[in-house]
Amino acid sequence: MELRYFILRRLLLLIPTVLGLSIFMFILIEAVPKAILVTPYINPHSRIPYIIQEANALKILGFNYPPPIAYLFYLDRLLHGNLGLMSMPGYPNSVAAAIVDAFPNTIQLTIFASLLSIAIAIPLGTYIGARPNSIADQAGRVFSLTGYAIPAFWLALMLQIVFGKNILLGNPLGVLPFSGSFSASAIPNPTPSWFVNGITYPTHLVIFDALIHGDFPLFVDALKHIILPVLTLTYGILAGILRFMRAGMVDASNQEYVKTARSKGVPEKLVIKRHIRKNAMIPTITVMGLLVAGLLGGVVLVEYVFAYPGMGYLTTQGILSYQIWLVIGTTLIFGLILVLTNLIVDVVYALTDPRIRY
Amino acid sequence: MMQNTEGKKSESETYLRVEKLKTQFFTARGIVKALDEIDLTIRKGEIYGLVGESGCGKSVTAQSIMYLVPDPPGRIVSGKIYVGNVNILTGLEQLAKITVKSETNVKIKRNKRMIKRHNYLLSRIRGDRISMIFQEPTLALNPVIRVGDQIAENILLHLKVDMANAILRREMSTRKDYESFVQKALSIGDKDARNKAIREWCESYSISDAEELVRNIFLTYQDPETVVKSIEFIVNERKSGTNINRLSRAREYYLYQQRLFEATLNLMEAESGKNQDEIDRARTALNEIKKEGSSFLSFRIINKFIGKRIEAPLRDAAKRRVHELLNLVNIAEPERTALSYPHELSGGMQQRVMIAMALASNPQMLIADEPTTALDVTTQAQILDLIRNLNRQMGSSVLFITHDLAVIAQMCNRVGVMYAGNIVEEADVNTIFDNPKHPYTIGLLKALPRADRIAGKMVKLETVAGSVPNLITPPTGCRFHPRCKFKMDICEKKKPELDDLGDGHKVACWLYQEPGGSGK
Repeated sequence: MELRYFILRRLLLLIPTVLGLSIFMFILIEAVPKAILVTPYINPHSRIPYIIQEANALKILGFNYPPPIAYLFYLDRLLHGNLGLMSMPGYPNSVAAAIVDAFPNTIQLTIFASLLSIAIAIPLGTYIGARPNSIADQAGRVFSLTGYAIPAFWLALMLQIVFGKNILLGNPLGVLPFSGSFSASAIPNPTPSWFVNGITYPTHLVIFDALIHGDFPLFVDALKHIILPVLTLTYGILAGILRFMRAGMVDASNQEYVKTARSKGVPEKLVIKRHIRKNAMIPTITVMGLLVAGLLGGVVLVEYVFAYPGMGYLTTQGILSYQIWLVIGTTLIFGLILVLTNLIVDVVYALTDPRIRY
Repeated sequence: MMQNTEGKKSESETYLRVEKLKTQFFTARGIVKALDEIDLTIRKGEIYGLVGESGCGKSVTAQSIMYLVPDPPGRIVSGKIYVGNVNILTGLEQLAKITVKSETNVKIKRNKRMIKRHNYLLSRIRGDRISMIFQEPTLALNPVIRVGDQIAENILLHLKVDMANAILRREMSTRKDYESFVQKALSIGDKDARNKAIREWCESYSISDAEELVRNIFLTYQDPETVVKSIEFIVNERKSGTNINRLSRAREYYLYQQRLFEATLNLMEAESGKNQDEIDRARTALNEIKKEGSSFLSFRIINKFIGKRIEAPLRDAAKRRVHELLNLVNIAEPERTALSYPHELSGGMQQRVMIAMALASNPQMLIADEPTTALDVTTQAQILDLIRNLNRQMGSSVLFITHDLAVIAQMCNRVGVMYAGNIVEEADVNTIFDNPKHPYTIGLLKALPRADRIAGKMVKLETVAGSVPNLITPPTGCRFHPRCKFKMDICEKKKPELDDLGDGHKVACWLYQEPGGSGK
């Protein structure tokens, strides 16, 4: 009961947060010279003079009004799903359309990476946290500190060199494709109707679409492509979660209630599982949320190195070719994801720790 | 609640016997000799008070008895602790090899396999025969588990067999069983005796929530036929349609686990005895029981998957018992309290929950480690009353640890005074207060304001000069000699033994003993 109201309240709180986010984005827009903003709205081949086209574009975008009014124009466009225009070869003209194509790939990487890291870090952290200063613990600490210290793009490059096909000739480990989301050779011939311009339908995720349409070879090929980027992303957050899980376990095992549990005759295994781990999970969940949100930053670099057509790749391409509306648009989406992740973390937190009650 | 019948008749029997218990802490600054070969016996049904300044080893004693000394840095080095007839330090030497090179350089080599087996032994003793109430209930309850579940955990660990028996009996009971019970109950003329019989019967049928109902039926109706009918109705109403085959299979498995534990215990005892014949015999016995285990393979696999469903009737019974226990410790709304988390309860309520938890599986020995220190005075009085009443009702022994002499005078039958890791004086409570012998005890009592001594006059309270010594380098001989007014030469050289002055009044002081022999 209480929890339902808590979630409802947090959802309502989303509205001012998102409005604040949009104001911030608008300030960024205002800081950019107007000439750059209107570039994608101008047709250089048109007979209409540039100045008139520019004046028209500024009028459409609302920039002939003072900033507060211009913001309302911007908000109106946002609410209609219009994130602006862009002109990049091989991409649609609308920023929103480009993001819709790229977004699922990023989410897919993030979800796979976070699930994998949680699946590894929680049991591993429980194991080493229950045996502080043992050999396993020392090894685990080295492993997690390394993960902290290694920059994601460097790890990505190393993985490409070691496991990437055709990078080092005669490398027996080089079995995995090192860029893109599928190989050109794996595209079924003739190209099926759900495969248009390198985008698959309905989910835009090659892995799932191949499965839905029963194309098994393409599915395996796409799966191979995702392994290296997911591993790169995983190592980073895995290290963080592992460290906190270990610290939480050590901290919780020194608490008085663990003594109580032992004094009741609870077997050692259950003491760890039921009494220590449950408490160690609480700080871990907090960091987990932050780390998963932080993944989005890492995803930009990793997607760029692996040329994986997600939001990060799209953003870097946009930055390199001055697509201001695209960059603003992806930044807004990243911000939205961050806000939503925080919401989910708060709810999970309330579910695990009975002391946190609204 | 079931064992209280024996409580009175075997009052002088000992339940807990601690022999030459030596606990040390191996720290970077040296070895803290926290307990220096203490001896302690606690009889069935008595409240034994352990008193002393902070840092004198009271809590370490309690933790040692439960084998809860935090390791590292602490370890029990030697000694024996008999709980009932089981030495919980069986095979202590095999757990770890301690090589002392110097005070600060100690190598401890632990034997994981032995520690695992020892933990198994402990998990069967702790909570079942001996349980503990801690100083800070706020810290001692797990913050993320509902208190009802924390209490039920204890019940489900130790009372499975009893509960399964009772449930099976209830599920399979017929009219004949009720008839024979009603006949027996009606033949008891004494009201209290009859009520007791009713209580025991209800407990043995896992319908103790209906105890009052049954009692009223006996009061209302005289006609045996009607009584039998009503009882039949009550029991039938409580029959839950449990899968009897599965539950009885589970019960067999629990019994097998119990046999396995006993055989392991025998083996451990034999191994510490170093008699090869006995070890072999114990080992073959254990292996034979282990062989039986193979017939439970299918059950164990099923249990892995639907263990929750198999245990469901036990959980129900445990839940009901939790409510009874909460009632017993005077908590007003047991159902609601059971569902709350520790932080939602006040300190007094939390300590009541702790007590309920400690009592959950009918232990015969309760260790209360300063249970009222963290509570305010009113709550303190309530909790003390509660512990004393429960001790009287259930006939279990209590080791009561406190630094508060007033509480000792109120609660205890016998008292041990501790100083710097030694028990320096032990006697029944009146003797300690009226006729203290050891200079330390005398000093402690003089530091206490007493209505009967002061009698209207302003009397300055005395203190025991100095403070508790550093136990890394304890004083030689008697550890109290640097603070003692009656210090003699021998005190620095030789440690006095705890010597009986007659009537169970024991003192460890050279004032009362000849250096050569064993006292006057």
